[in-house]
Amino acid sequence: MEKFGKSQPVRRVEDVRFLTGKGRYVDDIVPAGALQAFFLRAPVGHGIITEMDTSMAEEAEGVALVLTADSFKAAGFVNEMDFDVIELEDGEGAAPPRPVLADGRVRFVGEPVAMIVAETLAQARDAAEMISLEVDDLPCWFGPGPGGEDIHPEAPGNLAYDWSMGDEAAVEAALAASDRVVTVELPDNRVAATPMEPRGCYVEMEGGRLHMCFNGQGVWGAKDEIAACLGMEASEIRVTNPDVGGGFGLKGATHPEQLAIAAAAKMLGRTVHWMGERTEGFLSDNGGRDLVSTATLGFDAEGRITAYKVETLSNLGAYNSNYGQFIQSELFSKVAPGTYAIDKALLKAKGYYTNSAPVDAYRGAGRPEAIFVLEHAMGHAALQLGIDPFELRRRNFIPPDSFPYTSATGVTYDVGEFAKVLSRAEEHSDVAGFEARKAESEAAGKLRGLGLCYYIESILGDKQEFATVVFGENEVELHVGTQSNGQGHETVFAKFLSDQTGIPMSRIRVVMGDSDIIEWGGGTGGSRSVTMQNTATLAAKDGIAESFGAFLAEREGVDPAEVTFDDERFRLPGSNLSPTMLEVAEMAREAGRDDLLKQTHKGSLRNMSFPNGAHVAEVEIDPETGVTKVVRYTVTDDFGVLINPMLAEGQVHGGVAQGIGQALTERVVFDEEGQLLTATFMDYALPRAEDVPMIAFHHEGTPSTFNAMGMKGCGEAGTVGALAAISNAMLGALAPLGVSDIAMPFTPERVWRAIEETRVAAA
Amino acid sequence: MYDFELARPTTLAEALEMLAEEGSDPLSGGQTLIPSLRARLAMPERLVSLMHIDELKGIEQRGDALHVKGGTTHAQLVHGAYDIFPGLASLAGRIGDPAVRTRGTIGGSVANNDPAACYPAAALATGATIHTSQREVAADDFFLGLFETALEEGEIVTGVTFPIPQASAYEKFIQPASHFALAAVFVARFDTRVGVAVTGASEDGAFRWKEAEAALTEDFSVAALEGLSLPEQGLIADVHGGADYRARMAGVMLRRAVAALA
Repeated sequence: MEKFGKSQPVRRVEDVRFLTGKGRYVDDIVPAGALQAFFLRAPVGHGIITEMDTSMAEEAEGVALVLTADSFKAAGFVNEMDFDVIELEDGEGAAPPRPVLADGRVRFVGEPVAMIVAETLAQARDAAEMISLEVDDLPCWFGPGPGGEDIHPEAPGNLAYDWSMGDEAAVEAALAASDRVVTVELPDNRVAATPMEPRGCYVEMEGGRLHMCFNGQGVWGAKDEIAACLGMEASEIRVTNPDVGGGFGLKGATHPEQLAIAAAAKMLGRTVHWMGERTEGFLSDNGGRDLVSTATLGFDAEGRITAYKVETLSNLGAYNSNYGQFIQSELFSKVAPGTYAIDKALLKAKGYYTNSAPVDAYRGAGRPEAIFVLEHAMGHAALQLGIDPFELRRRNFIPPDSFPYTSATGVTYDVGEFAKVLSRAEEHSDVAGFEARKAESEAAGKLRGLGLCYYIESILGDKQEFATVVFGENEVELHVGTQSNGQGHETVFAKFLSDQTGIPMSRIRVVMGDSDIIEWGGGTGGSRSVTMQNTATLAAKDGIAESFGAFLAEREGVDPAEVTFDDERFRLPGSNLSPTMLEVAEMAREAGRDDLLKQTHKGSLRNMSFPNGAHVAEVEIDPETGVTKVVRYTVTDDFGVLINPMLAEGQVHGGVAQGIGQALTERVVFDEEGQLLTATFMDYALPRAEDVPMIAFHHEGTPSTFNAMGMKGCGEAGTVGALAAISNAMLGALAPLGVSDIAMPFTPERVWRAIEETRVAAA
Repeated sequence: MYDFELARPTTLAEALEMLAEEGSDPLSGGQTLIPSLRARLAMPERLVSLMHIDELKGIEQRGDALHVKGGTTHAQLVHGAYDIFPGLASLAGRIGDPAVRTRGTIGGSVANNDPAACYPAAALATGATIHTSQREVAADDFFLGLFETALEEGEIVTGVTFPIPQASAYEKFIQPASHFALAAVFVARFDTRVGVAVTGASEDGAFRWKEAEAALTEDFSVAALEGLSLPEQGLIADVHGGADYRARMAGVMLRRAVAALA
């Protein structure tokens, strides 16, 4: 443990920059003289464009360019966004084209229809008002499920895919033979990612090359997409990410605005800038979640799970986004059976197009959804079976001696000490004291419930990464292929390299987010960053130690095999010389061995890790108003070996806060005409500080055997566990009143109404 | 935002002269108007800022009443009314957030008459007088409906005089996103009468709940409110709450306010 990451709570070095206004985000570094872009967006949810006259706008003061689907294509660009489609037993998912700018038809309110580029933003806005746009309305469809007017001819009934995994006959037979069967329908509400910094970019021409600067989760995907869209060679394109104010999956996907801006810069040979406003984000950002699942759990007489079935209907929005089709199908399946010894599982997932912005990855991408379904279904089962929820989990956990364990959905978990972690969680959350706390709440006229979720996470993303170390005269650069969105990467990566090499942390500068400097990287996403980047750094340290050792051996005339590096100094047999890595770099520089001073090494893993743990939430409900507060929250995680405990805990805090937001306050609402009713923070309720209790974090680590550090990714785990923990706490508080059917978000009105209905029924 | 001219008069007379001209609108703290301008929902030719007029600022006790000049910010009111009329100071301290309270003014809020604004409830419950650049209007006659008041073109609110109750309480049930009032009740208890006003709930803006006033004037207790409920007709229904929910929350807030004072 000492060797690989000293597990120290090192403070974030980047925070001084961020907190003193010295962060440099896209909007802070736009080159002077840039043209400003404004997007005219679809005013209705669904319809045929019958007229679009841009002639007045084109002649308006300050306007340099107006782009529509027609002029975009006429300029030789490809008016289609890239996306992946899922493989099915009998083919693949639907692939209706997704235009950069709406082509003849609009499919959601906020879809980009035209882009106006002018000297000032006010001029671009003025010109946008001069475009006459006529749309013949078509009926809107919001599903999720079959029905409504077909949104794409390629997808009859609006069905994008019908995917399944598992042996249906065996699962149905096992369910039929079960002593008890518990079936629950569980909606998972749509949320908006709302990073603190909305999406934005600028594109400039540097000689004949195109440079896009945008706030993303990596630069290489966008580079390929620009090349394909504009018909350029990838070598003619440079993409950079400066400081980024939150991504959460949203910024992992290229959005249409980026390609339109790139096209305009190329056509005009000038810099073009666009910064999205908050309402534009609400309208056009990829959404998250938005599905409804029916879960069925079969149990034997002892409360052991005999089979598990989930049927999911999900909303893909109006178009396929990058990975939209994979979220509620393949990614959902990664952890669908959770931590339980379930032999028979069946997943059936159907994705539907609707008249809303596309839906794609949002913190956790499929795993929070799967764990919510399983663990809330377990909460219902405990209640229906009359078994203590902690006990029901214990009876079903995969035993510690079964690892490596391959789950019913084909995923191999390396290690797991679930019962041990759960016992610790039971102590830490003081389950024994709950009845007393409940009595206290009741004395104050409040209802109180305790909810448990035992989650497991599957780390995703590319299983290879590179690290380049450049020994400069004054500092050492570490080039990384991941991308910070504010998580503290600069601290963690520099500290890890420092621990491995003895190079003082203050001499290390982490460089990221520039496709000209870094040839390839996997970016941030799927909780992969620290595991993958440090794996690459370990490979780099080994490579540098070996090559520097060989250089020293040659210089000193000793056998290279006898030169060692002990994480601080090189040792040579029979010599007092014990140089540090920086001293050897200086020797190499003096010897003209520049080849040693910049080294790129690749780290790769065969498998990622499986963080898991228990979230215990307590809610307090005011039955008169329905106001619900999460009043106690205890997390006991197994993240293997912690690289930086403080930052890991911070990730959990943020993840739980996002989970509390989805569970209690966040809700995207469209009206029947497709207008978004929650398009500003006046109507979309993000959790505030007062909505988030102090979160107790405890760690009971079992090292992963799938990577050298023994660590497990922690970026999404908080969100994965929170939804079911809070939902089960609600069930605990409300079931005694007869309420067992209430869906997230638990807004005051919804909770009040549920309580009120039982009162009316009882009267 | 469309282009507009901005004038910054330093006397009330100068401001009124400017406002009498065609195409001029008053700008107070701007907490409603500036967002509307940003969204291009308003297109004034000229805005006349009232923020640089000293004679429109200040709080003073006038006998049994508290007089608040129109340009006084919520933050100034929190401090200025704290000892004299704590119920009103508490109301002002719960408007928006510190940034809003630092800019927003009582005159702007009263003149705008947002259906979820806080001050109209206090003005109606206490029987306040609204002072304008031309006259004095009783609160009952001033608030006429959704974003509607008795103000004429070019007329501005110069102050509000609140009779100071023996005790008062403002119970505010917040809309979860905006933290505006979803249903809020101001109860003002005087020697011989009780004033009750509701804001946030009605499509016509803040209003007096006269049945509650009558019941409480007779017997100031929660028990006196038994069976009393607000009719749903005319109440707001939106994504945050139906009309029935608002009616019930108004009742809950009323009872809590009375319980706090009884």
